[in-house]
Amino acid sequence: MSDAVVLSLRARLEGPLDMGGITPDRCATLSRSEIAALVVWIGATRATLGDLFAVRGERSLRLEVEGDLHDVHGLGAGTAAGEMVVRGDTGREAGAGMTGGVVHVHGGAGDDAGQAMAGGVLRVDGHAGDRLGGAVPGASKGMTGGEIVVFGGAGASAATMMRRGVVAVAGGVGPFAGRGMVAGTLLALGPVGEQPGLGSKRGSIIAGAGVTVPATYRLACTYEPPHVRLLLTSLRRRFAFPCDAGLLSGPYDRYCGDAGDVGKGEILVWTGR
Amino acid sequence: MFIEDTFAEAFGMRAARVVITARTMKWARAAALKLTGFATSVIACKCEAAIERELTPEETPDSRPGVSALVFTMDSDSLGKRLTERIGQTVLTCPTASCFDGLPEAPDRLPAARALRTFGDRFQISKVVNGERYWRVPVMEGECLLQETFGMQKKGVGGGNFLILAEDVDSALAAAEAAVDAIDGTPGVILPFPGGVVRSGSKVGARGYKGMIASTNDAYCPTLRPLTTTALPDGVNSVLEIVLDGLSPDAIRGAMRAGIDAACRRGVRAISAGNYGGKLGPHHFHLREIMGAAS
Repeated sequence: MSDAVVLSLRARLEGPLDMGGITPDRCATLSRSEIAALVVWIGATRATLGDLFAVRGERSLRLEVEGDLHDVHGLGAGTAAGEMVVRGDTGREAGAGMTGGVVHVHGGAGDDAGQAMAGGVLRVDGHAGDRLGGAVPGASKGMTGGEIVVFGGAGASAATMMRRGVVAVAGGVGPFAGRGMVAGTLLALGPVGEQPGLGSKRGSIIAGAGVTVPATYRLACTYEPPHVRLLLTSLRRRFAFPCDAGLLSGPYDRYCGDAGDVGKGEILVWTGR
Repeated sequence: MFIEDTFAEAFGMRAARVVITARTMKWARAAALKLTGFATSVIACKCEAAIERELTPEETPDSRPGVSALVFTMDSDSLGKRLTERIGQTVLTCPTASCFDGLPEAPDRLPAARALRTFGDRFQISKVVNGERYWRVPVMEGECLLQETFGMQKKGVGGGNFLILAEDVDSALAAAEAAVDAIDGTPGVILPFPGGVVRSGSKVGARGYKGMIASTNDAYCPTLRPLTTTALPDGVNSVLEIVLDGLSPDAIRGAMRAGIDAACRRGVRAISAGNYGGKLGPHHFHLREIMGAAS
């Protein structure tokens, strides 16, 4: 048993590599040779991990991946336990379908990061692409649990169809954030793009900076929501999430909507007063 | 100072730690005082409770000033019911107050606040933060935030005690207050009686009334010295008792040691303890053993 299993990319990839299913919990029971023999796909071409990566360590719940990972997709996808550390920017679907454990991307993540997550923590130190924490195309729900913490910004359609869980973004998020949320929480400390929370049933969108609230949301009051204070405190203590004390206390304007649906969703806008 | 060669006899209890936060310490304390009100003895109050200590914003889950309180009962069902009743009537009602579990590591969980969500009349909202569920209950002031489940310590201890045998009431009070000050703030320990002190120590049953669960401890009543089999040394004219509940036997031991040490002062003739012959409670805290451990 090693402290960690380390995969070092040998050379620049010729095509997109799908690493979905290569998870720390899977490597925890495998020897070095067994890990090297795991099958991955470069486009439609079958390969083994050993063909592409130098493999060090064995039988560990900590998996590290390093190299130029721009074209590596699905890193940490399906993780159920353990910790995966990704050194560098990744491709699409990082941490997709996670049910537990931690995936820590020391860089940016491409589109569809944390897609349909059900548990665990996906941490992205850089920016995330479109559809962060979103749903698999055609699915009726997106995230059903877990936490996504992004220290940069995120693209369009973050937390789409979210059912449960938390998506926290230190920067801004693009348009159509929280579309069709059933429940759960999307937090954005930076500006929120246009048309947030469309079709939201019971979801919460917390906006720490500018946001244009859709016409289908109605102002309820200006107050100090205790759960925002709790959430931000938790994020600060566990992840050193960069939110200042003013955001904890508020006050926030509470808008209820989307009136075109159940209408029990909310957009909380920090007033900064 | 004479330490009698005897022991305090204590019982196993279920315990929970409730952390109450509020906008200011004033309101956190106000809620905690009500939460722990009328909770001196399980005999008539159904639970024993008191404030454990005040918490800084750095120590609370929501970065606000807070107070932790301990609640003890004789069984698990009762603990859940008492928490539901008391949180519902004291924290839910108190301006700006929120309520959190103070024993997050305890594997046994009581869904004490789940029933309180219905006060929200289907306007309540559930939030999960770091794997724990909280309920946002809309109230006229804004929102009340309640953690759904509370950890239960199954190995709590209730009824740790020691008796201060003094020359007069002034000396007894001064010694008792010193003991309370020394114990106050000890993690995992509360003193559920008024000011932490009991003047009406009891014995099991009664000699004159059938059906009484407890009656006055006549052996330690100075006014009855010639009328009963007294346990009082000469010169003792007032006795006060310190009763302790704790999350563990070790917590009780440490607090008793600090309290007895502080109570040993001018005007105190002896320190004793209450027991029932060792047949009722599984925990025996021998005074000389405890004080010997101090040296």
